[in-house]
Amino acid sequence: MTTENQSDIPETGPGGEGPLHGVLAEYETPGELIEAAKAVRDAGYTKWDCHSPFPVHGLDPAMGIRPTVLPLLVFAAGIAGLGGSILLVWWMNAHNWPWIVAGMPAFSLPANIPILFESTILLAGITAFFGVWALNRLPKLWNPLFKSDRFLKATDNGFFISIEAADPQFERDKAETLLKDAGATAVEAIHLDPDPTRWQIPRPILAFIVITAILGLVPFAFIAKARVTHGDQPRIHVFPDMDFQVKADTQQRLVIDDSPVFRDGQVTRPPVEGTVPRGQLRQDDHFYRGLEGDEWATTFPAQLDIDTSTMDRGHEQYNVYCAPCHGEDGLGGGPIHERALEIQSPEWLMPTSIHDQNVTRQPHGQLYNTISHGIRTMPGYRAQIDEEDRWAIVLYLRALQRSQKALPDDVPPEERAQIR
Amino acid sequence: MSSGTRQLHPDENIKLGKLGPHVFRIALTTGVLFLILTLVMGLLAGDDMTRFFFSYLVGFSFFLTLALGALFFSTIQHLVRATWSVVVRRLTEAMMGTLPLMFGLSLVIIIPMLLGHTGLYAWSDLAYAEDNYFVSQKLGYLNVPFFALRIIIYFAVWIAIAHYFLTRSVQQDQTGDTSIAARMRAVSAPAVIAFAITTNWAAYDIWMSLEPEWFSSIFGVYIFAGAMVALFAALILVCMGLQKRGRLTRTITTEHYHDLGKFLFAFVFFWGYIAFSQYMLIWYANIPEETIWYQMRIEGPWMYVTLALLFLHFAFPFTCLLSRHTKRRRSTLAFFCAWLLVMHWIDLYWIILPTYDDGTIPFHLMDITATLGIGGLFVAVAAHLLGRVDLVPTKDPGLGESLEFENY
Repeated sequence: MTTENQSDIPETGPGGEGPLHGVLAEYETPGELIEAAKAVRDAGYTKWDCHSPFPVHGLDPAMGIRPTVLPLLVFAAGIAGLGGSILLVWWMNAHNWPWIVAGMPAFSLPANIPILFESTILLAGITAFFGVWALNRLPKLWNPLFKSDRFLKATDNGFFISIEAADPQFERDKAETLLKDAGATAVEAIHLDPDPTRWQIPRPILAFIVITAILGLVPFAFIAKARVTHGDQPRIHVFPDMDFQVKADTQQRLVIDDSPVFRDGQVTRPPVEGTVPRGQLRQDDHFYRGLEGDEWATTFPAQLDIDTSTMDRGHEQYNVYCAPCHGEDGLGGGPIHERALEIQSPEWLMPTSIHDQNVTRQPHGQLYNTISHGIRTMPGYRAQIDEEDRWAIVLYLRALQRSQKALPDDVPPEERAQIR
Repeated sequence: MSSGTRQLHPDENIKLGKLGPHVFRIALTTGVLFLILTLVMGLLAGDDMTRFFFSYLVGFSFFLTLALGALFFSTIQHLVRATWSVVVRRLTEAMMGTLPLMFGLSLVIIIPMLLGHTGLYAWSDLAYAEDNYFVSQKLGYLNVPFFALRIIIYFAVWIAIAHYFLTRSVQQDQTGDTSIAARMRAVSAPAVIAFAITTNWAAYDIWMSLEPEWFSSIFGVYIFAGAMVALFAALILVCMGLQKRGRLTRTITTEHYHDLGKFLFAFVFFWGYIAFSQYMLIWYANIPEETIWYQMRIEGPWMYVTLALLFLHFAFPFTCLLSRHTKRRRSTLAFFCAWLLVMHWIDLYWIILPTYDDGTIPFHLMDITATLGIGGLFVAVAAHLLGRVDLVPTKDPGLGESLEFENY
């Protein structure tokens, strides 16, 4: 039941008593309470309330209270909890820091449903709890009605209606008559205390609340201080097994019989003999090794889409990995070559031109193999460039080689005029 | 607040009357005809009746879970001293009164097994069992004589509980002796414990052992959850059917439907919760002997059934039953009850039939006819029991409060 705010413009009462807060009427049964509530509702009062020891079915319509908005708030909060936690687990596990555990997908519903479920319930529950408080303007530490001894029965077996003096159409006599005619066993006027300072929260209680709130800030003050100072004591390890884990740190020297994890000095286990990790079978000779049977492949593997985007990817990768030596034009005069000439390096050999007949004659597969494993002084790039990108580079090389033998007809007609 | 003094309305029709024999005749005829039809189709299938037994088990399971749900509902009302439910309790008492019939129907499965039929339970085939390491280790438990003995023990316990609570409840109608209610309350505690143990193990034996390599300790709870969904759905529909025929029209109110609807909603969620709990642990551990059961159900066409259960047995009714308006309006509540009964049947079908064939969905007309046949007998027995008693426990000390019951 909503308890309305206490009167703002109190009417001054007779001597000794404070301003009038309102009138209070007692009824014997829930049924009489409902009938009386209907009468008060129909009389057009707005600042009034019913008080009963337990929820009375049918009282809401009798008082003319509209259905509460709380269920909608709870539902919305539940949906927000669900959506928010989906976003949370997706962002943490699959987007910001993808981490594969036990071979399970980075973002998988089965593993996360408990989290989604709990956050849905949590937000809905918190909203329901605090929603009730907010909608009823709780906590309310004190109400003028508490001054009435009769009102104590409201938590036991008494049923009450109170009409506040702040109601725009409040007139004490009319209100009392209305309540009495509706079957009240007793009607009394409730006055505020004559001393206005006593309408507020008592000083000691207020002081207690303020002091508690200030003391509550102390831990945060320590945290804030710790961020800008230093101490000579070692830090406290709240969870020592998390701070000192059984693991090998980066660049830690591992000695046989001294590994923190396994006795042979390793921290991970090698694959079981005769097994292949998932996704690492690499059985396709054409794609992985550039072979068709025993011969170098003369075609591109089926995995590669021969299109502009692959060509662009090859161009990009070529400029990153190949052009420093071979030059962007492929003639062998890249920046490293120029620098070697500048410092007159005695060991330097000019990089091969990719337009050399020895290179242009080579099948696709052989070029792929050269990129993978290197040749003469050129190192292999299989660790840096993955298979698909190596094939994209081969594709780009072919385009580059073709460009050296281009005829005017190869240029689109509308751009031919630019050729000088 | 409830004083519990309200009486049954003097003009209330609390007897099944002529409706009893009428339903009994129609249901019995339907049941016998469809069972004969199923048997003929089974014989014509020419697979040594194997397909017949799978269809039969689906129908048998559907009505066994219904009867077990009724048994649990009737006993737990005494245990928790519930009064709101008194007006519908006689109906569930009649449903659990069909357990002797269900025992008779279980013999159709057990006797052929004792005679050496091995089509339904793979472990009953010794050649298969000894060839399979996991199953061979379980033969001390999974063997036909012990299996038959266990089924008989389960039914003995269930029938004893059902008989006790049905006869005492009717006895109280006649004598008005309220100490009977107190005695039923005392017996209900051990009865619920006995129910929990037997139903759990029956679930392992009847449904889980269809896949003898596989095991899941939560499986009994899963079956229980489905059974309760089916019970509340069926109970609500029975109440509505009776009211349409002019029985109990002033006794069962929107408030009772609302509460039954809340239970229906709660058990829809409980079913989803248990189903997921079982799935998640198996998914996470990823151990072959556990995942095999789900693998059969998520590869190939069974995946569609699995997804249908997720969305149509759980998500759809859950979302719709969330609102109190759905539960208080009879047409929507009736729709979801019928819907969930169909879903419960599909759930059982999904539990049982992949054992027969996990590559396709091996639907056969017998699946329907067997269910209708067993259902006919089930309804006939329940109608026969109800025809001899009042439709509400007229002298139950909680009846007044039940009649006054209102949701706040």
